[in-house]
Amino acid sequence: MLLSRRHALTGLAAALGVLPSRAWAFGDAGAFNPRVVTSGGAKLDAERSSAPARWGYELVRRTSAPARLSATSVAFDQPAFAAEPFAIWAGSAELGPLSGPERRGLERFLKMGGVLVVDDLAPESGAFGKSARRELRRVVPESAPVKLDPSHVVFKSYYIVDRPVGRVQGPPELEAIVRGKYAQVFFLRHDLLGALARSRAGGFALEVEPGGAAQREHAIRLAVNLAMYVLCSDYKDDQVHAPFLMRRRARRRP
Amino acid sequence: MSTRSWALSDDLSSPSSVVVLLLAALSVVLLVLELGRRERLGLLIAGTGLLATLLLSAAVLRPVRVTERGSLVGPRVVVLVDQSRRLELPAEDGRARRQRAGESVAALRARFAEARLGVLGFGEGPPMPVDDSGRGTRATTGSDLAQAVGSLAESPGEHPRAVVVVSDGRLSRPGPGGDDEALRRAVGGLGVPVHSVRLAESGPKDASVRAVRAAGAAVAHQPLSLTLEVGCSGGLSCGDVPVAVREHRQGVEPAVLASGVAKLEDGAATLELRITLERAGARVVEVSIDAPDGDQVPENDRRFLTFSVARERVRLLHVAGRPTYDVRTLRQWLKGDESVDLVAFFILRGLTDDTMTDDDSELSLIPFPVEELFTEHLPSFDAIVLQDIDAVAYKLARHLPAVARYVESGGGLIMVGGPSSFAGGNYAGTDIDRVLPVEISENSEPHDSAEFSPRYTEAGRAAPVLGGLVDLLGEDLPTMTGSNSLGKPRGASLVLLEHPRRTADGAPMPVLALGEAGDGRSIALGVDGSYRLAWSELAASVSGRAFGALWDGLLGWLMRDPRFEVARAEIVGQCISDEETTLRLSRLPGAKGDVEVSVERLGKDAKKALEKKLPSPPPGPVDVPLGKLAPGGYVARVRIGEAPPARLDFACERGGEAWADSRPDGPRLERVSEVTGGKSVRAEAVGELPLPTSTRIAAERHVSPLLPPWVWTLLAACALGGHWLARRRGGLT
Repeated sequence: MLLSRRHALTGLAAALGVLPSRAWAFGDAGAFNPRVVTSGGAKLDAERSSAPARWGYELVRRTSAPARLSATSVAFDQPAFAAEPFAIWAGSAELGPLSGPERRGLERFLKMGGVLVVDDLAPESGAFGKSARRELRRVVPESAPVKLDPSHVVFKSYYIVDRPVGRVQGPPELEAIVRGKYAQVFFLRHDLLGALARSRAGGFALEVEPGGAAQREHAIRLAVNLAMYVLCSDYKDDQVHAPFLMRRRARRRP
Repeated sequence: MSTRSWALSDDLSSPSSVVVLLLAALSVVLLVLELGRRERLGLLIAGTGLLATLLLSAAVLRPVRVTERGSLVGPRVVVLVDQSRRLELPAEDGRARRQRAGESVAALRARFAEARLGVLGFGEGPPMPVDDSGRGTRATTGSDLAQAVGSLAESPGEHPRAVVVVSDGRLSRPGPGGDDEALRRAVGGLGVPVHSVRLAESGPKDASVRAVRAAGAAVAHQPLSLTLEVGCSGGLSCGDVPVAVREHRQGVEPAVLASGVAKLEDGAATLELRITLERAGARVVEVSIDAPDGDQVPENDRRFLTFSVARERVRLLHVAGRPTYDVRTLRQWLKGDESVDLVAFFILRGLTDDTMTDDDSELSLIPFPVEELFTEHLPSFDAIVLQDIDAVAYKLARHLPAVARYVESGGGLIMVGGPSSFAGGNYAGTDIDRVLPVEISENSEPHDSAEFSPRYTEAGRAAPVLGGLVDLLGEDLPTMTGSNSLGKPRGASLVLLEHPRRTADGAPMPVLALGEAGDGRSIALGVDGSYRLAWSELAASVSGRAFGALWDGLLGWLMRDPRFEVARAEIVGQCISDEETTLRLSRLPGAKGDVEVSVERLGKDAKKALEKKLPSPPPGPVDVPLGKLAPGGYVARVRIGEAPPARLDFACERGGEAWADSRPDGPRLERVSEVTGGKSVRAEAVGELPLPTSTRIAAERHVSPLLPPWVWTLLAACALGGHWLARRRGGLT
């Protein structure tokens, strides 16, 4: 089920199973949709299953962007994978090798300009992240991940974000596979979904380490920025924004 | 007339005759030497020897009598009459120079009655046939005498013995200045005298725009420097003359691009004005002066010029009310096109959004500069894309009249669907409503959520704008999640895609429609899911290229890219008022159907000047006569079958460049005649022109021998015998 910004609360309730599902509304078709990829054996644990919907909710609450507030899953080898330009590949365990159709599906997705976020939910072990990188190396061997410069547009696509954080503080930089002018695959070692996940009781499902509420807020801001990057690409790099943002960033520096 | 003469026999060559004469001379010399040894009868020996030598030579050379009869014929003289429409201007006696030219031709016929007179016209290109009064079938702008004389020199057959030029002297070639040698090279190719008849010695009282020159090519949005020459002649008193440059557009008053004052010294002034043409394609510009009282030729106080304005890059403003996949896909496609200079503004924070911070410095948001964009910078854009943005909530409503005027002045507008587009965005009943290709209904739900696949109309299948999409996907189109409620198409707008179930005024509801408003074009796309041409199972089958194919066509049509026009239209030659104008159409391959042409005057409240329909003309270029048009700017629309119309803006002026300088130039004609050995006279003094000598033509030639060959031989034998006897008697052996 999908919800537009104006129906956010209703949608959230529906996502939580309070309301029955309904047809998509006009204007929802192009809404941000954090689809979860299941290929290679990736899956969200129960604690984090609400995180994609929460991601959409935070986007709708904080920005003008519409988003879908229910989690949908998809596999690289499904035709539906090429129906939208965004997906999350998250997990905590090592991935199995992708099949031929899955590799081809992912390759086509990236060639068409899609954006994939690889979120390591257990960065302490790094098994998921390493295996995801291994599989992506097989799909796009010519494109190695690079550390994004702090001036990259993803750090200013809505909030001004200094460094990536999630449930864990993780490394201070963000890595991505950049193809052409655009970063297409983001590698997170911060368990971003863990910071977003909500419990049925209404609170956050997992504690963030070590920063508390501020860190969680920064994690949500990173999620919003990633969504805005997906929806607006390098809009904030446009020349009209540059002088304004440079002045604002300079003011924020101590 | 007959004459008599003699000659040697034709059957001997000249060298043979010379040899015979040399032998005869040698014989005489030997005879003189022999006479010294004779005993007597020296005189008789010499006489018979000479006689025998002469008769023997005559027997060999056989002289003949020649009788010729023939006649004298007049010399060939070519009269070149200036065909420039400048000759419609008055001479000093107030009559048109053309009328004086006709009288001069009649006078020349009388003066050169003995000559073989050929009267031709000259203007542009080779000389052309003219009627008895010296008027050709079409008037020209220039007076290229050098080309005309050059063509005569290169033509086979008898060259004229003299050329007479009938003109007012303001020739385009040879131009003013240049030394005698250059002038001789230009008009002396025939090597005969070039006489001239000057049709006017002085011009009317006239202030005019003599020349308009642009420094380089016109490029949209780039300042263009115009150099204007303003002149005043014929005794008209001119001081400071105001000058204005205006652009003529459809449906609106002409826009003043620049103005200035020409300060005339010695009857002329040069003024430089900078103008900026914001729209690409053919643009009609008027350059006018405020002439002082007494100007006798008001027609050349203003020039209507067609500038072909190139576009360096399409400068596009993309405004979106919220970021979606539709916005993202369009932005990425526009950013990927090197020919597009994109300025984008997206509303990222709505009026009720909670950013979870009280400190805006933590946000990278900037205020939506709606005032700046839609006032100061609006004319600098070639097109605007309004995508799913509420006009009231984001204070766009107050600028919609300006946006409508922008479109009517030649700008492009695309409204892309979404909940906040069309009626949902509070655009119904606003000024922008009148420039969109569809009506916006206020009385129904602003949008509908039912899924559907748009359907091509006949016009959609025929339109080059959707050709790329049809080539990729055929009749299939992806499913859309709902649609905006669009009304019926407005005026001559065309619907390319329609809803399979929803209706508007009893007809299928438009989903994609194109239209023209004033000088500009607009597009209405009533869905927010065009990104599904890039992201869907159907789109994936063509690697997402269908989205680019659609938008390439839409943006191309909006910007009048010839690839997406159904035909290319051009004016044959120039459009000159009071002369027949022809529009030539070159149709795109595959363009089928009836051809409909309409011509409308540019400007506010202009009415159609012409409408024509040609039922399915045969393949190839089509010439459409437009008749005689009054001075001004025009727009011609050409519709072929069901496809969207192609358009051509063009200028029409009275006299045109030919009337820009009304002064005659008698001294130039005098120089032309002087350097070629001819004579220059006023129109009243044609009788003073010299007549070339006549040519004698032989009609009959009769040749008869003085004596038969045997008589010459007999006489020579007798003479030789007598000489032999005389030698014997004289003691010579």
